[in-house]
Amino acid sequence: MQPENFYYDNKIVRNFGIATVIWGIIGMTVGLIIAIQLYHPGANMGNQYTTYGRIRPLHTNAVIFAFVGNAIFMGVYYSLQRLLKARMFSDVLSRIHFWGWQLIILSAVITLPLGLTTSHEYAELEWPIDIAITVIWVVFGWNMFGTIFKRRERHLYVAIWFYIATFITIAVLHVVNSFELPVSAFKSYMVYAGVQDALVQWWYGHNAVAFFLTTPYLGMMYYFLPKMANRPVYSYKLSILHFWALIFIYIWAGPHHLLYTTLPGWAQSLGVAFSIMLIAPSWGGMINGLLTLRGAWDKVRDDVILKFMVVALTAYGMATFEGPMLSLKQVNSIAHFSDWIIAHVHVGALGWNGFLTFAMLYWLIPRIYKTELFSKKLASFHFWIGTLGILFYAIPMYWAGFTQSLMLKEFTAEGMLKYPNFLESTLQILPMHMMRSAGGAMYLLGVIVMAYNLTRTALQGKLVANEAAQAMPLAPVHTIARESAWHRRLERKPIQMLIAALLVILVGTFVELMPTLTISSNIPTIAAVKPYTPLELQGRDLYIREGCVNCHSQTVRPFRSETERYGEYSKAGEFVYDHPFLWGSKRTGPDLAREGQKYGNAWHYNHLMDPRLMSPGSIMPEYSWLLTQTLDTSLTVAKINAMRTLGVPYAPGYEKVANAELDKQAKAIAANLGADHIKVKSDKEVIAIIAYLQRLGTDIKANKTANK
Amino acid sequence: MKYLRIIFLLVILISVQPVTAAADSLLPGETMDYIGYGAIVSVLLLLIIAMLVLLKAFKVLTRVVLKSEGYTNEQITAELEPAKKEKKPKAEVWQKLLSLRPMAEEKELLIAHDYDGIEELDNPIPAWFMWLFYTTIAFAVCYLLIYHVFNAAPLQYEEYKIELAQADVAKKVFLSKAANRVDENSVKLVHDPAVLASGKAIFMSTCAACHGEHAQGNVGPNLTDDYWLHGHKINDLFKTIKYGVLAKGMPTWEKQLSPKQISDVANYIKSLHGTKPAGAKEPQGTKEEDDDNKLVSNN
Repeated sequence: MQPENFYYDNKIVRNFGIATVIWGIIGMTVGLIIAIQLYHPGANMGNQYTTYGRIRPLHTNAVIFAFVGNAIFMGVYYSLQRLLKARMFSDVLSRIHFWGWQLIILSAVITLPLGLTTSHEYAELEWPIDIAITVIWVVFGWNMFGTIFKRRERHLYVAIWFYIATFITIAVLHVVNSFELPVSAFKSYMVYAGVQDALVQWWYGHNAVAFFLTTPYLGMMYYFLPKMANRPVYSYKLSILHFWALIFIYIWAGPHHLLYTTLPGWAQSLGVAFSIMLIAPSWGGMINGLLTLRGAWDKVRDDVILKFMVVALTAYGMATFEGPMLSLKQVNSIAHFSDWIIAHVHVGALGWNGFLTFAMLYWLIPRIYKTELFSKKLASFHFWIGTLGILFYAIPMYWAGFTQSLMLKEFTAEGMLKYPNFLESTLQILPMHMMRSAGGAMYLLGVIVMAYNLTRTALQGKLVANEAAQAMPLAPVHTIARESAWHRRLERKPIQMLIAALLVILVGTFVELMPTLTISSNIPTIAAVKPYTPLELQGRDLYIREGCVNCHSQTVRPFRSETERYGEYSKAGEFVYDHPFLWGSKRTGPDLAREGQKYGNAWHYNHLMDPRLMSPGSIMPEYSWLLTQTLDTSLTVAKINAMRTLGVPYAPGYEKVANAELDKQAKAIAANLGADHIKVKSDKEVIAIIAYLQRLGTDIKANKTANK
Repeated sequence: MKYLRIIFLLVILISVQPVTAAADSLLPGETMDYIGYGAIVSVLLLLIIAMLVLLKAFKVLTRVVLKSEGYTNEQITAELEPAKKEKKPKAEVWQKLLSLRPMAEEKELLIAHDYDGIEELDNPIPAWFMWLFYTTIAFAVCYLLIYHVFNAAPLQYEEYKIELAQADVAKKVFLSKAANRVDENSVKLVHDPAVLASGKAIFMSTCAACHGEHAQGNVGPNLTDDYWLHGHKINDLFKTIKYGVLAKGMPTWEKQLSPKQISDVANYIKSLHGTKPAGAKEPQGTKEEDDDNKLVSNN
């Protein structure tokens, strides 16, 4: 047999690399802007399109799907070709993948500031974009499996197992979490409601962390770290164990995001139990990485790329130990909804994903440009400012999380809340928020320095767009000896591997999702809970558009400190008409589940106009545009119909009178405001949002009086 | 030996005696506790001193005995030195703990394949790693059993009930001691500057947003004029603040302000009557004769 000559496609790797750096800078800059808005609300520049609630999803989408996403494709396209000794299956598919993904991100950059959102965290993009993501993801899988089929290496290396698991699981997660009923070109309602929607969302949200931020990065670690350190991988057996254990257990852990909510107790406990079991499988990757460096630690001293890798692995180890600890109920009751979680995710994002990405870029760009890195000094500067940035980011946030949580839980001897006004706790942690933005700015500065360094590197070299390589073709299957180890046999069969990974992740998915989605006794209904009026429904859509859910939760947990502060704890039956659920995951401001009828309409009007009028020192942005913009009622009929399709019991023909009902309720609210000398037309958006806010949590209050 | 035992028992009895006598002692309970702790600590200290003395005594005795058997001074010192342990090199212990094979043996562990130059070692999975994994699995199984099979620990709603019950007990204990159980029936009109200052602080932080900094009225009504919507007596004010008037946008403050605080702020509001602040809101409600003040002045 003759060795075959072929070429690796470096151009596609370079393109994804450039996209990684550019989107990284954009995503982190948006992050810095919203961090500043948290102590200086005026940093939204008085503009609805740059206000926290709308661009916080832009930050998360940009750093997760644009920065990390492009880095994944860069690392996968580089390593996959070399591990399989084959060029990518199709240059056309590679190009469609690249440009398709950039267009998806671009559409996110346009639609999210416009307030077009499904409000599902990390899946905010509306239904047409969801379809585009599905198509591009299939293109990626097609290209990857095409390459696998024409490989010149019989066995699949551990990195590729991780890539396969990533591909199939993200596909399942994305499809299940995107069941939406379109109302118009850019508006849809989630098919699931309330508790069920929450479970689906956090099954998705948690596993987006697992299969977008973790498994592909572990795969890339398994390729790039041995390459960088020139050392063999420590333990093949450990690779097998931790790979299968990780993907099997991770998928179960989602409900730990919903502890102390109305999710059934058994589902919560499963989430806790599987989170604890996740420690060892997660650490397997860190241990295998760090022990691969055994005998190469002297290199770490001089090689900045290995330094980035060591910090990345350490951050990964810390975050994956902290995660299971946070899922213990006792810790969760303090940490959840607080800045502690923000610190936790940023240790993972900045440390693990960020630093591993930088290491890959510093290693791979000089190689594909056949040159040396422009400046090792600048890379070293990047390493130190980045590490300091992470510390300056994380420590104040841990501190802020503890402080605020403990303040909100503290009682006086008289049995009263020590800090009844939520705002007191907010003001207490403002200095920490300022320090956090300084840490973030340092980290961003490091990335900008890297961009400069890499640009100079590229300019001094020349891209080897098609890198020549040589390998023996695969011998026909019948000529190779049967292998005794089952896993070695599996490594030769990509399709079986794909199916095995799929089955492994479906176990947890079915056990947790199916009973909650199908057995009605898991969500006891409450007779007093009625569908939203048309005006309230429109108000709710404004609440979704403005991204209020990014700062205000809507679920009162059964703690004394919360029932004293907010009122009766939330019941599963209260959320049955909530498509989508709006429980939120962070309390930058107070919970709003029982906001209805707490204050007068005039209070809400003034508060939305300028929150500092009613709550001096508040960090909430001014929503002046709600006062001037006219409510769009053209979709009321479609919305009522869509809701009815989803099972909300609007009477037949109600859609015909819906807008008349809406007018009636709006006029009543405008008249009520008029009595307080607030002159506002009844067709303004503010009327709808007040109607919604005044409705929140009141059904169950009505129920109580009825029972008396 | 028998005598020793009796003495030992006596020492214990004597040291325990103050505790058993607590019930009918004239000393307050807390002082008794301190005496008890003191006794325990001093007994423990005594034990340590006794041990040290004994150790010294044994050493001296050994010297005397060995000398009488003809040992030289050097031999005796050597005999008294603690036996030296064979020390293993530190790295080896560390490697054993991590189940690491020495680097020199690495060649034997290389698996006969490579991927783009990446080789793999056939190291076993570290034992401590497997133990960690097994422990977490055991924890998870126990967790589910405890909460869902044996029902041995409270789930969230039961936990909530327990938390409320405990808080209730603590609150009752506190209130039975404190004299601040003021409510809308027992609240009194006072002009004490300390009360008014405290009331003013509360007013500025909680009320001024709606009623204006000088109570001139804003979203809420003017509180300085003769016109009142829900009564003008100190009891009425207390009640309005405590329960709120939800239909008109006045929140319930019962959960956020203590009875003393409500009383203070009600008194502060009463003290503002007739101050005629700038930008006062037009009258709302019915005109009321301010008889409270008259009564006070009559007194």
